[in-house]
Amino acid sequence: MRSYGPGAAVAVAGMLALAACGGSGSDDSGSASSGKTRIKLVVNGGLGDKSFFDSAYEGLKRAQSKLGYELKVVELGSDRTKWEPGFEDAAAADDYDILAAGTFDVTDYIGELAPQYPDKKFWVFDSAVDYTGKNGCSNKCENVYSVTFKQNEGGYLAGFLAEKLVAEEALKGAESLNKVGVIGGVKIPVIEDFIVGFKAGFKAAGGKNSDVLVQYVGGDKPFGDPAKGKEISTAMYGRGAALVWPVAGLSGLGTFESAAGAGRYTFGVDSDQYQTLTDSAQKDTVVTSILKNVGNALYQAAEDDKKDAVKYGAVESVGLSDDAVGYVDDDHFRELVPDGIRSDLQEAADQVKSGSVTVPSAF
Amino acid sequence: MSSVLDVVLSSAFLAAVLRVATPYLLAAMGGLVAERAGISNIALEGQMLSAACTGALVAGYSGSVAAGALAGVAVAVLLGLLLAALRLELGADAIIAGIGLNLLASGGTAFAVYTLLDDKGGTSGLRSGTLPAVTLPGIEDIPVVGDVLSGQNTVTWLAFLAAPFVAWLFYRTRFGFHLRAVGEMPDAAASVGIAVRRVQYAGLALSGALAGLAGVFLSMGYVSFFVRDMTAGRGFIALAAVFLGGLRPWGVFLAALGFGAAEALAVQLGTLDVPPQLVSTIPYALTLVALALYAWRRKRRGAAEVAPASL
Repeated sequence: MRSYGPGAAVAVAGMLALAACGGSGSDDSGSASSGKTRIKLVVNGGLGDKSFFDSAYEGLKRAQSKLGYELKVVELGSDRTKWEPGFEDAAAADDYDILAAGTFDVTDYIGELAPQYPDKKFWVFDSAVDYTGKNGCSNKCENVYSVTFKQNEGGYLAGFLAEKLVAEEALKGAESLNKVGVIGGVKIPVIEDFIVGFKAGFKAAGGKNSDVLVQYVGGDKPFGDPAKGKEISTAMYGRGAALVWPVAGLSGLGTFESAAGAGRYTFGVDSDQYQTLTDSAQKDTVVTSILKNVGNALYQAAEDDKKDAVKYGAVESVGLSDDAVGYVDDDHFRELVPDGIRSDLQEAADQVKSGSVTVPSAF
Repeated sequence: MSSVLDVVLSSAFLAAVLRVATPYLLAAMGGLVAERAGISNIALEGQMLSAACTGALVAGYSGSVAAGALAGVAVAVLLGLLLAALRLELGADAIIAGIGLNLLASGGTAFAVYTLLDDKGGTSGLRSGTLPAVTLPGIEDIPVVGDVLSGQNTVTWLAFLAAPFVAWLFYRTRFGFHLRAVGEMPDAAASVGIAVRRVQYAGLALSGALAGLAGVFLSMGYVSFFVRDMTAGRGFIALAAVFLGGLRPWGVFLAALGFGAAEALAVQLGTLDVPPQLVSTIPYALTLVALALYAWRRKRRGAAEVAPASL
């Protein structure tokens, strides 16, 4: 039910758009005859998370407007029991050329479906299907392109910056504090990767691991429970954290409120959350956002697909050096972060890019 | 271990317990009133969600948090009346109807927010504000108590007043006697001239109002925006508290407070070096233990003691 609401609106809008085309008499295949490649983004959850899926959608929308793709979005909602049939339906419908889907949860579904539709292409982002063919993927997923992100590199920079900020007492109003916090949605490899990187960066900048508080939202809606996110953040600030970094989707919105109330600081995640927040007191708490640019990676894939350069049957891992992961260096950042720390951070980023520093990973 | 003790004895933890328990206390009282009126209110979750959404939207557009809160509670009351109507007029199964209302609320709120704000996540782009905190003069100066109570939201205070209110209603008013009689044995109640349906409608309306207040707290007290499905199962935990508390106001109060304390404890322990999987099971494990205890106690006392005439 939950996904049908917005879905229905999209469907209605779509029908109106078709009607507005002037009734050429063509159905869905009309788009195929127009020669445009059709991408279908299947979201196992919902758009509007202000970070991960919204970024993917933004990238594909850009591909639509700039590269001339056709884009269709299917939202399956947060009820997991509807995901498998949802993917089966989405794959069976002949209204796409490329099916894009993300997160670890979809790999099994795509692994099953890709061999059944060998003339279709599949993009999996933020996780990889099993190319060995042991679990599903009887065709070794030769029509599946997977792209994963080195979020541990983003986490490393976050940890590095956090320790520098507290060590040099650069955060106004929190000078005496030396702890920092990270809030994960749930303890899964992708989230752990952020945290492992964070701890490594914190240590590399001279901090102690015992000063990093880590907690998970968990529960029924780990990525959609802002009340619990706020409660955890309040507890962390209460235990002396100068700064808390939520890696927990919409639950993180509670952190920004908590920080504004406590006069402390935050980092954003995935998207530039200084831009997505509206409350100025909350915006002021965001030192920077650690970007995981899912959208750019998908746009890149769309561009490559025009040149038949997408590496199907393989997984690609993108990170700092591909600009798929990074941090926001804007006016607000420069206002809060002293020049010395900025150049230290830039140096740390360069070391990771050049490979002279290898960031540990949770994978 | 001493650090755990420090956490539990801190005023920050006690303040967190009051905050976390607020939605449980209100929704559980709502569930209790409906249960004693003879109609199980499975729709607590949906009522909370609808109220949270309506409250944030109305407050955001009207600029008045009071209007938002009233509108939120009103929507939850309407859902309560709808549940009663489905049960009483159409003979629907209250459980099935309740599940239906929950699904309606989940999809309906997401649809409303998307239609109005073009945002599929929630109303965080809308500035709706929060209900005011209560500041009692003098109380801030009392050690510990002052730290715990100061700055708590108005709704938190109402949540703690809900139990005495329901107890008074049940045992000290004519309406309360009628409500319990109707829930216990509707035919007998009707035979002595009680307007059974009217009492049940009123009971479900009150149930909705309490659940609505819980929802309003989530989006206009705890945080200042609505996010889709933000109730995250709290209505069902409240429902567990209703039965755990033996269908009595003070029992339900203690059960809901216990769930709140367990969740607050999980939050506080999470920052210590305890495995997160273990921490996040605390509220659920406590629920199971408590339900087992309840069943055991009931068995010992004999089923006659507390016989919920549900459905």
